[in-house]
Amino acid sequence: MSTTSTLLSPELLARLEKMELISRKIFRGRMKGERRSRRKGQSVEFADFRNYVPGDDLRFIDWNTYARLERLFLKLFLEEEDLHFYALIDASASMGFGDPTKLRYAQQLAAALGFIGLIRGDRVRIETLGQRGSAHSPVFRGRRNAWRMFEHAESIEPGEQTSLAAGVKNFCLRNSGKGIVVLLTDLMDKAGFEPGLRYLLAQQMDVYVVHILSTEELHPELTGDLRLVDCEDGDEAEVTVTGPLLKRYHQTLAAFLESARDFCTRRGMVYLAANNQVALETTITDYLARRGLVR
Amino acid sequence: MWPTWINMLGWWQWAILLAVPPAIISLYFLKLRRRPVEVPSTYLWSRTIEDLHVNTIWQRLRRNLLLLLQLILLAILILALLRPAWRGQKLIGHRFVFLIDNSASMNASDVAPNRLDDAKRRAAALVDNMASGDVGMVVSFADTARVEQMLTGDRAALRRAIESIRPTNRPTSMVEALKVASAQAAGRHAAQPADEKSEQIVPAETSPATAYILSDGKFAPVSDSSLGLLKPIFLPVGGESPSNAAILVFQTRPREKLENWLQAFAQIKNFGTQTIRADVTLRRDGNLIDAEDVSIGPGETQNVVFDVGEMDEGVLELAVGARDRLAVDNRGWVAVNPPRPAEVLLVTPGNEPLELALGTRSAAKLANVAVRPPTFLKTQEYAAAAAGVHDLVIFDRCRPETMPQSNTLFIGNVPTEPRWSLGERVDVPQIIDSDPSHPMMQWLALDDVLLWEGRAVNPGPGGSVLIDSDAGPMLAIAPRETFQDAAMGFLLVDVENGESVSRTNWPIRPSFPMFVLNTLTYLGGAVQERGGQSVRPGQPFAFEAAGPVGSVTVVGPDGRTMRPTVVRPGQYQISTTEQLGAYEVRVGGKPVSRFAINLFDPNESDLAPRPAISAGVEQVAGQSGWEAARREIWRPLLLAALAVLVVEWLVYNRRVGM
Repeated sequence: MSTTSTLLSPELLARLEKMELISRKIFRGRMKGERRSRRKGQSVEFADFRNYVPGDDLRFIDWNTYARLERLFLKLFLEEEDLHFYALIDASASMGFGDPTKLRYAQQLAAALGFIGLIRGDRVRIETLGQRGSAHSPVFRGRRNAWRMFEHAESIEPGEQTSLAAGVKNFCLRNSGKGIVVLLTDLMDKAGFEPGLRYLLAQQMDVYVVHILSTEELHPELTGDLRLVDCEDGDEAEVTVTGPLLKRYHQTLAAFLESARDFCTRRGMVYLAANNQVALETTITDYLARRGLVR
Repeated sequence: MWPTWINMLGWWQWAILLAVPPAIISLYFLKLRRRPVEVPSTYLWSRTIEDLHVNTIWQRLRRNLLLLLQLILLAILILALLRPAWRGQKLIGHRFVFLIDNSASMNASDVAPNRLDDAKRRAAALVDNMASGDVGMVVSFADTARVEQMLTGDRAALRRAIESIRPTNRPTSMVEALKVASAQAAGRHAAQPADEKSEQIVPAETSPATAYILSDGKFAPVSDSSLGLLKPIFLPVGGESPSNAAILVFQTRPREKLENWLQAFAQIKNFGTQTIRADVTLRRDGNLIDAEDVSIGPGETQNVVFDVGEMDEGVLELAVGARDRLAVDNRGWVAVNPPRPAEVLLVTPGNEPLELALGTRSAAKLANVAVRPPTFLKTQEYAAAAAGVHDLVIFDRCRPETMPQSNTLFIGNVPTEPRWSLGERVDVPQIIDSDPSHPMMQWLALDDVLLWEGRAVNPGPGGSVLIDSDAGPMLAIAPRETFQDAAMGFLLVDVENGESVSRTNWPIRPSFPMFVLNTLTYLGGAVQERGGQSVRPGQPFAFEAAGPVGSVTVVGPDGRTMRPTVVRPGQYQISTTEQLGAYEVRVGGKPVSRFAINLFDPNESDLAPRPAISAGVEQVAGQSGWEAARREIWRPLLLAALAVLVVEWLVYNRRVGM
């Protein structure tokens, strides 16, 4: 592999090469495994059975079961189309905080997941919320485009002034197809994150929300009488930071995380709260793998 | 009323102090300049402090509340340093005795609700004004004094003691109250051990005490009471010459020549300054029998006489229906008892003149006389009789081994008592003098009485001589326990050669039967006046009643049954005579006699205020119980500062807690 990138270390890339993206969506009945696999040696993936109804393709009848039970069952298969993988990065000013910045962490995550997709021949597209309505970002496909994808990911700068809802809406308008979308954001939208996420719901996509928070938000080290200035809209909040207030802040934060998790889980989205202090490798190979995005 | 100030600080100290408020304000503004910090989003912070912004006015106020509290605290401290004070009053001295009169006159309603409550209220006000460290005691007094609360610094206890004082119907006397007060409070008592165990002697306290006398001054001047270290302050209680009519005398007497016909006699005085018209009603055992309208001018006395009619026993009640300021003196009672003749025992070998005198109709009415010979003294019967059956025993020319439990009259001898001594026989002693003030000698003219012979009877200390002669006392009387023993040094008759001969011409003089009647009345003690006895409230009443000890009871005017104390067999005494009215003595439930408790005290009934009383040798004018004093308020100010400090602390904590 000749690709070099500051985003991802070679060791991580080596590790990622062995992984693949998984779509949880099973297209029952409609697709019925009509497509043959493009990848050799990897047969159609079995998913489930269902009762035979007249008109079904006889090729998918499970004859072994018929022999045993004298009833006709149809075998169902997972979608085996080439996947559309979208990484949607929130590049607002607030993402520029943290060490590494949350945006950097998001870029790394997007690049890593995209790299996995490229390896497996999936279509990979990395977009930001602030992109103009019609401005498509390039689609990457194939391993040789990996460096271009890294470059594209790295070129994203913080400071976009789009709200979460508007950004997601634009994204949905641009990309109406199916696939996997990973939203990388801190969900810090004064209007609330719910409208934005609802747009994604409407898409028939496999939605992953990676909620990236920095140490400044998780464990703010502030004391005294402060005037907190919002980096995005310049809003000010005067606080006297004391032990009890911090306790209260943590309660609010926990409630915020919980509400986001709850919102996503209820609507079939996969939610992951990520911390920019956790190694990227751990996040991907452990957390995301456990949530079934990669394998 | 503006406060007065005392400057406690010099100018440079003030300069420092006054520099503090601007310093606080500037510090506060310094503190308020918040450090700006850029954060990814104020989203979470805003949500955290969201509820703090619910009420922005309160929020703004809160923001400045600490500053405000600090400034208030400082202002209070500065104020306290100026020692503001109002012109106030304080009690005189540090040890106080509150002498509160609860006698009958204090029931007067000329000040609302009555004088006693007014006195109690004023005493409580005095107690409230005691400074910390002051001690006081509470004494209530009528004719006796009662320590309601010993010397203490506990103001609540003093107030309780004052509150517990109840009105009485008793007359007033300051003597005991002042004695108690000066002994208890003014530290006149001798040195005493610090406590029971230690031998150490605490030196006698010599601190003077102030006696606040809350009274209407209705008592006789006190002459012998030594005030000692007591400084009396008289606080007169009562209004301006209130109207009051009072019964001063209420008696019955037999109508002339009609022995059983009773007349009731009453004396009513108007102590007020205006003419009083009142109807006077007389009730016999509760039934109205007569009434009369009287009109009494100011300061005048009116006599009222009612014909009661035949009456052997019962209760007469006189009521003056005047609307005046003191109710207790508007009613009077007379208890009429059936006459009871005295039981007299005459022990004589034969005494014709005496027996004749005892046998007159008048004497027979007064006494039942039994005559026994001297040999009777040796019998068992006498021993029984000596135990108190008789009211009077007359020993003529004889003498018992033991004195009987009754009054005695010895003729030609002296009682068997060590105090008495008998002189040598003297021929023809000359009567020099007699004591007409003694009840036994009343109305006796002894000028024409000759004695042939006689022996001086010396009654010893405590006795009194009734007839004195040139040879010594011829008739004397002396007390023995509760009895009276009289001894006559001359014989009335004697036996000479078997014949009875006179030894004096007294029996044929008119004064002799008179003397016998006096003796029966006085020593026989029997002839109680038909119109029973009247006792002043609170005084013990002694009476005789025959019957088993347990069966004698006294029923008060309110129907309450009381048990009298036994003085000796047949003699009782009752001390719970607080209530005015007629009392009934019962034996085995049957009424046997009555007595009445009446106020009849012009001192108590005269409600006119007295400007001064004389206590000890001093004239104590009614005066203010206060002396001018600065009432400083720096103490409450400091307490307020402490409270502000606590509030500030709470606010700060709460603010941080948000």
